[in-house]
Amino acid sequence: MGIKSLIKRNYNKQPRLDYPDYKSSIFRAPKNDKFSIPDSISEVSGPIFNKKIIGKLDNDLTLNFSKNNKPPIGHKIIVHGTLLNQYLKPIEGALIEIWQANAAGKYLHMNDKNIAPIDPNFAGCGRYITSSNGTYEFITIQPGPYPYPNRGIEWRPMHIHFSIFGKSFGQRLITQMYFEGDPLIKLCPMVNSIPDTKARTSLIGSLDTTKSNTHQLLFYKFDIILRGMHQTYFENRKEGL
Amino acid sequence: MNDLKNIADETPFQTAGPFLHIGCLPNLININGIFKEDLGLSPFANYNIDDFISVTGSVFDGNGDALNDIMLETWQSDEKGNYSPDNGFARFVPDIATKKYSLSTVKPGFVRNINGNIQRPHILFSISSRGLNMNLNTRMYFEDDDLDEDSLLCYIKKTRSNISSLVAKKISENCYQFDIFLQGDKETIFFDI
Repeated sequence: MGIKSLIKRNYNKQPRLDYPDYKSSIFRAPKNDKFSIPDSISEVSGPIFNKKIIGKLDNDLTLNFSKNNKPPIGHKIIVHGTLLNQYLKPIEGALIEIWQANAAGKYLHMNDKNIAPIDPNFAGCGRYITSSNGTYEFITIQPGPYPYPNRGIEWRPMHIHFSIFGKSFGQRLITQMYFEGDPLIKLCPMVNSIPDTKARTSLIGSLDTTKSNTHQLLFYKFDIILRGMHQTYFENRKEGL
Repeated sequence: MNDLKNIADETPFQTAGPFLHIGCLPNLININGIFKEDLGLSPFANYNIDDFISVTGSVFDGNGDALNDIMLETWQSDEKGNYSPDNGFARFVPDIATKKYSLSTVKPGFVRNINGNIQRPHILFSISSRGLNMNLNTRMYFEDDDLDEDSLLCYIKKTRSNISSLVAKKISENCYQFDIFLQGDKETIFFDI
């Protein structure tokens, strides 16, 4: 008899937790290896969010915090893509949440000590539930790069944070999308905590020139892959689990 | 395992960073008027609050400092041990000043796996923060259950000594304390799930 379980994570394609070049990891990354457990119904199940929670402007960051219809400063972009599983099948009905800095590289957050200005018409948060063909779209402005204290002052490449819920709690993913051509990407210790070159590159949204040249705004395409499911058989599982 | 050769790679994680509230809990930091309500405010919104237990605790770094810039997410069954996509998820952060989190929820029931095995009541915890390049996953059990009978805990015990890091202490009727240690002598067991 078989049961559904999540495909085991390939840690060679994931960032190292203990990565001292990223200073904040030094006192936060656990020192022991993760303990590998066969997943149960607890990890295979997960919350699913109703489209009713999504407001009309939730995925339009250029309008969802604007006062008196004033646009935020910066150039408008569309970030879009498809949410897929590891078999490259689209995942529909999945919640994607994003957050980002404004065009000056400033977050609307009390802990952001960067001296760059706040934009009164930009909060930097959005969310979307993927459509029937697994696609998503956010209308936003290009986030700026910004300095932060690490080994002295370092610069974060332009990026958008992504949080994704699939259908299983074990599929949960939090990541960042970078922008094609940004010279800061290769200098970033958070990016470089991923040892595999191809995996690092997969976090770069690519400029979609066909669309950009017809819509008068820049389009970036960023596809996201969550863990897939497969059948496992009891006889292959660790005894009693 | 031959079918796994042709599968695509999962997108890599990156840290959620220190500003995760903007996207995950905007109303909490006074970014109001965009999302009607923050996600995961109550894991069982339609239940009677009198039936809830309370779980409190802190998350400590390697210096022994309790952290207040992290985010916790939990996932659990209902009181009968059943999972539903509509209930059981919570998202919360520690209090800025006390650095303690607090979760009000139902005590999960015994969970029957598809293979018939019974898991003792437990809550899945996921921790996201600045300094963590990937979310950490762990489980919380209850000290007043017969944990010696749980096959997963018995299996972990064979190779790991700090099994108590997965067990919440009962501090009073219906109140439990569950601290999480990212590093140090008491480092919590984190799972590859």
